[in-house]
Parts: sequence; structure tokens; C-alpha cells
Amino acid sequence: MSALEAVPRIESRSNRGSATWMVVPALVLLIGFFALPYLTIITMSLREASTRAVYGEGLTLSHYTTALGDFYIWGILGRTLLIGATVTVLSLLLGYPVAYHLAKSRSRWTSLLYIFVLSPLLVGLVVRTFAWMIILSNNGVANQALKAIGLITFPLQLMNNSLGVTIALTHVFLPFIILPLLGNLQAISPDLAMASRSLGASRMRTFWKVTLPLSMPGIQAGTILVFVLSISAYVTPAMLGGTGGRTMSVLVVQYLVDNFRWPAGAALAIIMAAVAVMFVGLYLKLTARAMRRLP
Amino acid sequence: MTALTIDRINKRYGNLHILKDISIPIAKGEFVSLLGPSGCGKTTTLRCIAGFERPDDGSILFGNRDVTRTLPEQRDIGMVFQSYALFPHMTVAENLSFGLEVRKVSVPDRQKRIADVLAMVRLEGYDKRFPRELSGGQQQRVALARALVIEPSVLLLDEPLANLDATLRDEMRFFIRDLQQRVGITSIYVTHDQAEAMVMSDKIVVMSAGTISQFGSPREIYERPASQSVAGFIGRSNTISGKIAEALGQDSYKVDTPCGSIGTTGPAGLAKGAEVKIMIRPENIHTRKQCVGAGQKQEAGSGEAGKDENVLAGAVVNSVYQGSANQLAVKLASGDRVTVDVNGRNPLDVGEQVALRFAASDTWLLAS
Repeated sequence: MSALEAVPRIESRSNRGSATWMVVPALVLLIGFFALPYLTIITMSLREASTRAVYGEGLTLSHYTTALGDFYIWGILGRTLLIGATVTVLSLLLGYPVAYHLAKSRSRWTSLLYIFVLSPLLVGLVVRTFAWMIILSNNGVANQALKAIGLITFPLQLMNNSLGVTIALTHVFLPFIILPLLGNLQAISPDLAMASRSLGASRMRTFWKVTLPLSMPGIQAGTILVFVLSISAYVTPAMLGGTGGRTMSVLVVQYLVDNFRWPAGAALAIIMAAVAVMFVGLYLKLTARAMRRLP
Repeated sequence: MTALTIDRINKRYGNLHILKDISIPIAKGEFVSLLGPSGCGKTTTLRCIAGFERPDDGSILFGNRDVTRTLPEQRDIGMVFQSYALFPHMTVAENLSFGLEVRKVSVPDRQKRIADVLAMVRLEGYDKRFPRELSGGQQQRVALARALVIEPSVLLLDEPLANLDATLRDEMRFFIRDLQQRVGITSIYVTHDQAEAMVMSDKIVVMSAGTISQFGSPREIYERPASQSVAGFIGRSNTISGKIAEALGQDSYKVDTPCGSIGTTGPAGLAKGAEVKIMIRPENIHTRKQCVGAGQKQEAGSGEAGKDENVLAGAVVNSVYQGSANQLAVKLASGDRVTVDVNGRNPLDVGEQVALRFAASDTWLLAS
């Protein structure tokens, strides 16, 4: 009996050993390029401003108090979150049907659709954003088309505001919600939908009662990914946002590069990160309730 | 009265002709198995009945109601899947309640029916469990309960026992059959397991390559197979080739074979001179050691048994001990090999000469 038990124990120990080693490279990368820089930013945000160096000697909380007392910064923070939330909802609404279709379809055109889904990721960020500028500018493709069919006489303001940023970000981040959802939906046995239909439920009822609840893990993963990526995006809001669509990351870079206010910029970055963590934490808690019945 | 009529349905996928003119009439309360190897069209037939596939032509009637063009949810069916297909995010009670909610059954009525059906599948007290907390057999019983609680007009079962281990599978066969008879529900059961089909069904539809090879009771199919492929698919069988020498009665023939003349039973209307195969099941052949002297007794014995008895001589070439029986391979004078089951306690050795005796009524002629 004891001999029988000893064998698997030895095996599992050696397995655990090798697993630990496999984590090391990623861990080194994360500590070296994520945890340490973050610590530096935190310390930087607590330093006094200086005109002679990146930051002064003394410690202070003033950067935080100033930022948190500034309605302008609150406004930008709110806009950033609003853009993030809008992009997340839009990409979910647009992405879910695509993922659903891809998961169900056995057509040979499916691989073509896959390429379309991934296409935003295949084009460089700056190039793609320039393309959106060509489309969305006052004299751009979208406005000219709308004018040509007589819907408008004056150009619509499609960029240099939150709208342009939202449109472009939704386009970029669509794959990030489709892929986790696709994996999730493919793992749901088609028998479940058939069982539901056989019990008398319509397609609609089957979707709401069976498929949707079971795809919550994919929805959760995808929406968090898109939300976090959207609120931290820089290039798209920098190029398409103008002043009307300025977000926190654009503001932080402006502090650091244009104004050379490193400690204040660091404080803004930390505030942004803290708010993001808070929102994601809250979201995880809310969605966990919806998923508590899942295996 | 037929509860379910499948009338000449066809189904094609591109060039593949999956179902060819399938017609099956099913009486009320009958348990009918669709039996065949994978790819024979049995699952497609079931899906056509369920409404998940639409036949290209032909029609499907539930009673007098033509359901060919209706959606699955409009058909009033209960379905049990190989994968159980229980909703993993719902408790047992919620799974059972699902179909009742769709039918707008009142809450107290719902609770009563759920309690009743749980008792029926012997899962009282499991209502608050999640499917993942149950064993495979229990999950399949919940699936069965979920299909039955809505009191459908037809119960469809798609290889429901294929995922269970052998012992449980045996137990569940009788459980399902017993439940089906108590409820009296018309049932269609898809399986590739002939033993399952034999013990459970009132009628078996043997299918191959999109056509029906035979439709009949388990006894008819086992004892009177319509073709060599049916005989081969259901149980073990021996065949000896021959030619009809004369018809002795409506269904009895004398057949000339390389081992001599054999009295047989066969379908009516076989013409003299027709090439046939004589099928004999291994358990219907009796053996006796053949030694000098005893051989004479044999002849006398067969004489006593009348014209019905056939005796063939052969030599044991292989013997496999199987516990309850010993399976012998016997080589006949003609060179044909036959398989014979003998009592496991008095085996015959390889090389021994044996007399094989079998009744004409235990044979069946197959057109070759």
C-alpha cells in the first residue's frame, strides 16, 4: 500500500520541479520589465519636481493631490473610461455574431472569414490609423460619400473627438474579443442546443438560456482584454483624438515629453493604472456572479 | 394505429446519397431500434425525425400530423444524446424544468412532475445537484427524465449507452426498456450494438449504406435474416453454399452441397437450381465425438429424429475456451469451416473427428 502510494508522489514531485523551471523565463521577463519599471514609476511619482534633473530629492504627495483636485484631469479620466466602455460594448455586439458564426460554420469560406477577423492585426498600427484619418477627416472618404448621396451638406466631425477614437479602437480590438469567444463557443457541445430545441425552446430561447450563459467565460475574457487595451491605447487617440478625444495615455505622454513633468506624469500613470485595476476587479466580481453556476 | 410514419424519405449531401427511400411505420408504444454500422444513415434518419435534418423528399408523420416541414421545437419530441447533453449551468431540477417552462406548466404542477419523474429514474433527492456532480449513469438517467417529463409523443435515443462502461451499459438496457414499457412511449433507438438492439427492441431496422436491409422483430432478424450481411451483422453465423435440389414444402427445401444433401428452411418461392447459402447459428449445432460404432448410433439417432435432422462429419481444427462455452472451428469434408458452440466442460481436442447435427428448422437460406 505505502509502496504504491510512494511511486506517484515521487513522480508528481519531479513534475512539479520541471514545471517551476518552465515558469522562470517568463517570470524574469515580467519582473525585469514590468514589476521593476512600475516600482520606478511609483517612486518617481512621489518625488518633488525639479528643473535640473528628471526629478528632485524630496518626497511628496503633491502630484497626486494636484491631479485629483483637477477637474480637467477628471474629465479626461472619465472620457478614457467612457471610450473604453463604449469600445468594449461595441466590439462585443459586433464580435459575438462573428464568433458564433465561426464556431458553427463548416463552410470552406470560414478560413477566409478568419483572415478578415485577424486583418486589423496584420497591418501596422500607424498605417492603419492613417487610413482611418483618410476615411474620417472632414474632407475624408466618409464625409464625401455622405455628401454625395445627399445625406449631409456640411461635413460631420468624425475625428479629433471621442467618436473617431472609438471607431478606430473598435476596429483594432475586434479580434481580441472574437478569438476568446470563438474558443469558448467551440467548446460548447452542439448537442446542448439540440437538446434545448428538442425540449421545445426556440432558437432565440436556446440562445438566451443555454448558449449565452455558457459563453460567459469567453465574454469575460474578451471584454476585459478589449477594455484594458482600449483605455491604455496611445497611438490611436494621439493621432485621431485631437484635443476633443484626448485620453489619459495621451495626457501622460504630453506631461513627460512636452512638459517634462516626469513626477506629475508618473502620478497620472499610476492613477490611471489604479483606476483600471479597480474597474477590472469590480467587473470580475460582477461577472463571477453570472458565472458561478458554470463548471 | 401508427404513431410515427416515415414515408420514403431521401437525403443527399452533394453527391452522397445518405438516405435512400427509407420507410418505417412505427406503432404506438413500440420500441424500434435503428441498427447498423457507422455511416449507414441511422443517425441521419433520427435527425430527420427530430427535425434537425430536413429530408429532400418523402414525409414524416406523427400520428396524422405531417411534421416534415416543422422545426424541432414544434414536434413534441423527447431526445436523449450519447453525450447526455445536460445543461451544465443548471441543476438537475432546472434541467428537468426547462421543457416544462417552455410549455408554460404552472409552478406547483412542474414541481410535482419533476418529483414524479425523478422517482421514476430512481434519483430522488438529486434535484439540487449539478450534472458534473453525478456519475455517467446518473447523468444519463437525468437526461432520460428530462426527455420524459415533457410527455412527448416520441422518445428519440441516439446511442445513449455508448459512453457508459460495459457493466453499467447492461444494467441501463433493462432500465431503459423497463421504463419505456411502463410509460408506454413510442421510442426510436439508434445503436450500432446488435446485442443492445436485440434485448431492447420490439422491432429492429437493420440499415446499411442508406437503405433498410431488414425490418422485423429481433427473432425474425436473428432467425430469418434477409441477407448474408444481416446474418453477419447480427450475431455469429455459419454459411454453407449449395444449390436447391427440390422444394419439400412451402418453406422447406433440400439443398445439394459439397458435403451432401441438407434439409433446410428458407423463404418461400426459391426456384430449383438456385444458388443459396445455408445459414446456421453456432449454438444450434450439436456435436458428438465420432468413433467407429458410435457412428452407427448416430445414424440411428438421426433416423429417430426424422428427416428434420442433418448430420455432417468434420474435424476440429481449433478450440477456444470461453468459460461458459467452448468455441470450436470444424473443417467439413467440403473444406468449409463452421463455428460451433459446445459446453465448456467437455471440450473436444484439435484433430478429433466430430459429427455435427443440426435441425432443418434451425437453418435459413440466404440468396447468394
